Amino acid sequence: MSQTSATRAAPAEPAIPTSGEPLLRVRDLHVSYAGALRALRGVSVDVPPGGVVAVLGANGAGKSTLLRAISGTLRFSGGRVVDGSVDFDGVRLDVMDPAAVVRSGVVQVPEGRQVFEDLTVDENLRAGGLAGPPRARRAARDRVLELFPLLRERAHSRAGLLSGGEQQMLAIARALMATPRVLLLDEPSLGLAPRMVERVADVIGEIHRSGTAVVLVEQNAAMALRLAGTAYVLEVGRVALHGPAARLAGRDEVRERYLGVGRGPAPQTAPGPARAERAPGSREGAPETLVAEGLSVRFGGVAALSEVSLTVAPGSVHALIGPNGAGKSTCLNVLTGIYRATAGGARYGDVELSGLRPHQIARLGIGRTFQNLALSASATVADNLLLGRHRLSRAGFLTAGLRTPGARRERAAQERRVAEIADLLELREVLGRVVAGLPYGVRKRVELARALCAEPTLLLLDEPVAGMTTEESTRLAATVARIRADLGISILLVEHDMAFVMGIADEVTVLDFGRRIARGSPAEVQRDPDVIRAYLGATGEAVP
Amino acid sequence: MSHFVELLVNGLSLGCIDALIALGFVVVFKATRVVNFAYGSLLLLGAYVVGRYHDRIGFGPAVILAVAVTAGMAALIGVVLLRRVRLADHGTLAILTLGLDIVLATELTRRIGTDLLTTGDPWGAEVVTIGSVHIPQTRIAAAIVAVTVVGAFLAALKFTDWGVALRASAERPATATLMGIRLSRVAAGAWVLAGTLAAVAGLFFTAFPSPGVGGTVGQVALGAAVPAAVLGGLDSTTGALVGGLLVGVTATFAAGYQDQLAFLGRGFGGVAPYVVMLLVLLARPSGLFGSREVTRV
Repeated sequence: MSQTSATRAAPAEPAIPTSGEPLLRVRDLHVSYAGALRALRGVSVDVPPGGVVAVLGANGAGKSTLLRAISGTLRFSGGRVVDGSVDFDGVRLDVMDPAAVVRSGVVQVPEGRQVFEDLTVDENLRAGGLAGPPRARRAARDRVLELFPLLRERAHSRAGLLSGGEQQMLAIARALMATPRVLLLDEPSLGLAPRMVERVADVIGEIHRSGTAVVLVEQNAAMALRLAGTAYVLEVGRVALHGPAARLAGRDEVRERYLGVGRGPAPQTAPGPARAERAPGSREGAPETLVAEGLSVRFGGVAALSEVSLTVAPGSVHALIGPNGAGKSTCLNVLTGIYRATAGGARYGDVELSGLRPHQIARLGIGRTFQNLALSASATVADNLLLGRHRLSRAGFLTAGLRTPGARRERAAQERRVAEIADLLELREVLGRVVAGLPYGVRKRVELARALCAEPTLLLLDEPVAGMTTEESTRLAATVARIRADLGISILLVEHDMAFVMGIADEVTVLDFGRRIARGSPAEVQRDPDVIRAYLGATGEAVP
Repeated sequence: MSHFVELLVNGLSLGCIDALIALGFVVVFKATRVVNFAYGSLLLLGAYVVGRYHDRIGFGPAVILAVAVTAGMAALIGVVLLRRVRLADHGTLAILTLGLDIVLATELTRRIGTDLLTTGDPWGAEVVTIGSVHIPQTRIAAAIVAVTVVGAFLAALKFTDWGVALRASAERPATATLMGIRLSRVAAGAWVLAGTLAAVAGLFFTAFPSPGVGGTVGQVALGAAVPAAVLGGLDSTTGALVGGLLVGVTATFAAGYQDQLAFLGRGFGGVAPYVVMLLVLLARPSGLFGSREVTRV
């Protein structure tokens, strides 16, 4: 990788002319999951021979779905192509099984690396080459090891023992063993340290120069726009923008999408006149101050969080933002006792949180939602919400089973409170519906309602608008503001959608690669050059 | 002391057979995540074919025929039946194999009828005496065959394309398809292999000192395979081997010392492997070598 500096400086003009017929052509693709949710609604993407195409967009925009549709692996997540086509060099990929797609020359590196941890590095590479003829494998292996000299040294160690960055290298190397003509990369920089992200970028440059076309799905827009010739920005299953990458990087719309610059503040609701009446058993108490100091978490050799400090004042909305892999969810998982901090600690009021189990932390009045939704899919919304109140119910197994008058009164009171919370989140009409059949955006609101049902005084929200449409996310911003006003609780919000938090947060902490890079009011953070760089890369600096 | 050594040697040789049985059970689970309850009947099928045809075509050819028939039947179950309901959940498929087991076992029991089929193996009822330790010849043959078969299997798992594909798809099926690995072919291979192991194990399972091929052989074999596979960790081949040996030794010791263990009642030998299994699971819920379930939050 001697040309490292050259790769970084050049604004990635494709080495091979991109004119003429595209090699891979996605036409008007519609994909749905479980027959209901439309994940892609008419997406068209062209990949020129040897070109690098970046696909950007927020969580849930449909980026990974697009790659799955191309590689034929949709069915593993319950999805299918409803309409449209994927053509590669004159053959239809969308009617093939995944193995046939690989054999035709289109190979995907899955999100999250997914190396075979129990196999050695060598065996991983071998698995990658299984699709090809045996005699071609040796040559492929030599080529791949030349690109990744490190893997030669580690050939006989178990892949599970490699670091995150090394595993990403192995995942790419494994895919190259099939000698693809188009390489699909799903979030290769996810969760990697900055140095490793540079290495990955270099490797993609090398692959590109060797004449292989690359489709790069990334949330790290800075890296993707630097490498790509053309870029597509997906938003809720549609192509919102596309064009030459260098031009997109300077566009206001891209800046707005990634930084929330120029978007008006969300409606601020004035504090409600009176707090909603509380149900029996609800925790009497005002929110306390949450103080985290010097939180550090390491997974093996990877520092997921390094000395992060933040303070959530009682009754305030604090946003924790940063690109994917910045350590936001890790931070939340430490605060709720799911992960142990390697160093540092947190206090809620006078109570030291480190060392407490998750249920003990919940009992202190700290509630949370999960990014991947932790709802019971086969139960109704009402039952899910009642389950959220479990912590507050006094009736035991026996009294509830015997339906004693006391237990029945309590149940009625709980149901009243559930109805109130459902009203607050506009869920009244769906209370009787089974969760599984609800649209994703509604399920996200149910998840939020479930957390509120435990009557927390501090609510931790993990990416509440990921995968929502713009309207849904605007509505949710108003709802969060209302929750704060009506219930008077503190909220710590983890988001990578910067636009969403701008209107509702009192204070913002920005993480990148596990470190705090900025803190302050939303307006201050928005102007911070470090933050702009983290979200848009160096290209963002040129524009005032 | 000589009683102890004799029990240990006999236990280990029985354990070799149990390990073969457990291995066939585990390899299907590893490749397809289906708990194959029809495995006992497959084993009975193998033993039945040897018992029925060794008179007419000779012992060697009968064994080859048994392997072919059993592997064919396993492939039929795996490829034709289970593939049709591939989208069903693994619990449903396990119940389906339970149904198949009943059908197959009933038919074979009907065919055996009142005959007492013997395997007609060349080792007969000879007992070898080394020092003061007595071991039936069949058990020595079983140990040698088991070690050979298992060695060949492990080598194939380690070095062949099929082995790499099986281990890759066992660990991450969706990712394996991204390498162009066809899961259905890997699974079919696993079923054929399981059938082969069932036939070989069935032969030794019904040879001397067992009385012969009877209708209950399948259940007895499954009764050994399940604790062996579970305590070893359902998706681990190493676990199956260790589990098999452990079950063989435990059962033999419990039977050999049953006079001392009389307070536990008669027939403790049949229960002892399950006691060991429960104790192992209490300490290690995913078995000795099983991969732990990991969920991401």
